[in-house]
Amino acid sequence: MKGTLAIGKAWILHRGGETGQPSERTLDEAFEYETSRLSAFIQDSPSPEVFSAHLEILEDPLLRDSIQRNVSEGLTPSESVKAAEEEISAIFNETGDEYFKSRVDDLRDVCRGLVEYLDGVPDNSFENLPKDAVVVAPELFPSDMAEMDLGTVKALVTRKGSPTSHVAIIARGRGIPFVSGIDIDGINTGDLLLVDTGKAEVKVNPSEIEERAFRSRMAEDKGIPEGMIQAIRKHGVKILGNAGSVKDVEEAIRSGAEGIGLFRTEFLFLCRDKLPSEEEQFSIYKETVEACQGRPLTIRTMDIGGDKPAPGLDLPKEDNPFLGMRGIRLSLNMPEIFKEQIRAILRASAHGKIRMMLPMVTRLEELVQTKALVEECKASLRSSGSLFDSDMEIGVMIETPAAALISDRLAAEAGFFSIGTNDLTQYVMAADRGNSSVSNLCNPLDKAVIRTVKMVVDAAKKEKIPVGVCGEAASDPEVANVLCDLGIDSLSLGSPTLIKELSLH
Amino acid sequence: MTAKKLTIGAPDGLHARPAGELAKLVKSFPGTQVTISTAVRTVNASSILSIISLALKKGTEVEIKAVGPDEDKALTEVTRFLESL
Repeated sequence: MKGTLAIGKAWILHRGGETGQPSERTLDEAFEYETSRLSAFIQDSPSPEVFSAHLEILEDPLLRDSIQRNVSEGLTPSESVKAAEEEISAIFNETGDEYFKSRVDDLRDVCRGLVEYLDGVPDNSFENLPKDAVVVAPELFPSDMAEMDLGTVKALVTRKGSPTSHVAIIARGRGIPFVSGIDIDGINTGDLLLVDTGKAEVKVNPSEIEERAFRSRMAEDKGIPEGMIQAIRKHGVKILGNAGSVKDVEEAIRSGAEGIGLFRTEFLFLCRDKLPSEEEQFSIYKETVEACQGRPLTIRTMDIGGDKPAPGLDLPKEDNPFLGMRGIRLSLNMPEIFKEQIRAILRASAHGKIRMMLPMVTRLEELVQTKALVEECKASLRSSGSLFDSDMEIGVMIETPAAALISDRLAAEAGFFSIGTNDLTQYVMAADRGNSSVSNLCNPLDKAVIRTVKMVVDAAKKEKIPVGVCGEAASDPEVANVLCDLGIDSLSLGSPTLIKELSLH
Repeated sequence: MTAKKLTIGAPDGLHARPAGELAKLVKSFPGTQVTISTAVRTVNASSILSIISLALKKGTEVEIKAVGPDEDKALTEVTRFLESL
């Protein structure tokens, strides 16, 4: 796995909590203090939901009851909080589940805040944190992340911690290298540290040669922005591959794709004099779905138009092919040829999970008509005794504003949506991305495009159908983050390298 | 009292954030007690810590019970929330 590298001077965090004197502060005051402290974090934090969970824990009846019981048994407020923390941590740890165990950190962070207030000794605080430092601590908590100026922190190094902790998640989101499990006893404030998250290694006071080698590795190692990985994880977005040949499919699956989100079939029709027979198409689709090794294959029916040479079809030249006879329009205009493709796809569906996807949809009728053709093909296959998946899903590509505007109606009829960001952006913005004088308008992050995508995602969610993105824009981390936040279920990517990097996480 | 059984469908199980949202949802029906039971234990659904302590994973069967003035609405909304995860 490719890691992230950082270099900087160590700054050791000293906490005060242990040396505190018993104070006159009451539990109620401590809860009030901690509530306002956490509320302030929620307003300032880039990850407010982390501290919302903290606040919930603070207000939790189980925690309060447990503390109260300890107080009534004669412990001081501070001791009661610590005892309650122990009791509840024990319940969590009993669950035996790593994920839930690591949530104990949140509880401990809340209790630490209470204890520090009650003991009257806050920790040395991050006010003295120098710029460009590597923060070194036995352990870090989410509230530490809110207190330190993350903009200038180079890396975080701890003895204790886990990659699923909130601290790790916040660090990843901010692109700050974080390594735990390090023996920090040998590190002093001011030491030069080389931090390598991939190897989970920290080199203290390296030689000049080591430092130079490390810096050149840093220059080479750009990697994927951690924010993209975080967004994908947070929303559980599936990583799929785009493919235009069986070879592409094999490579995407080998790289770890959870399926193929877009298999283009144009290569069967373009640049050749004769149309492919049903038999030839079937054998290619069968080979393709077998290459998916059980993962779903989304086959897009031919997306051909006047701008692409398809000698076998003898299409008339159009003045404006992007607004012409293409995609599903063309397929429905030549139903006999289309039915051959549908039959071939259906027959291949007996050999693996296949979804059929229609390009360039603008009207509900196009989907309805296609579904009728599919039923017709199923009937003819049944009578000839051919096998197929009778529940094969039929979905539509959302790449025209018209499809987006009727996405509520389409969602009721379609098995899934796939947003083609490139064409959708061009059509929404009425700008050709190949035309340099207007290509700046072709921005998938333009408000108009985002609103369109949101409309489509919401329509899909309402009908509980999956909605993915298969445009190249999905490879741009900034765009991918926004898409993930909007609620898409999958990203289909063209680059096997990117698939590999994202699937690893 | 009303009750309903369902199976946790969230791929990652019910972790801290959704547990927090669930506790918040339950608290929006003051006076109505909502509990979640697994085969092993029953907990108060207004306590995020208690919910987390159940370590609900995908596929776990739970029973939701609601008692109080808003029991029907509370049960419907809690069920809908858990099914939406």
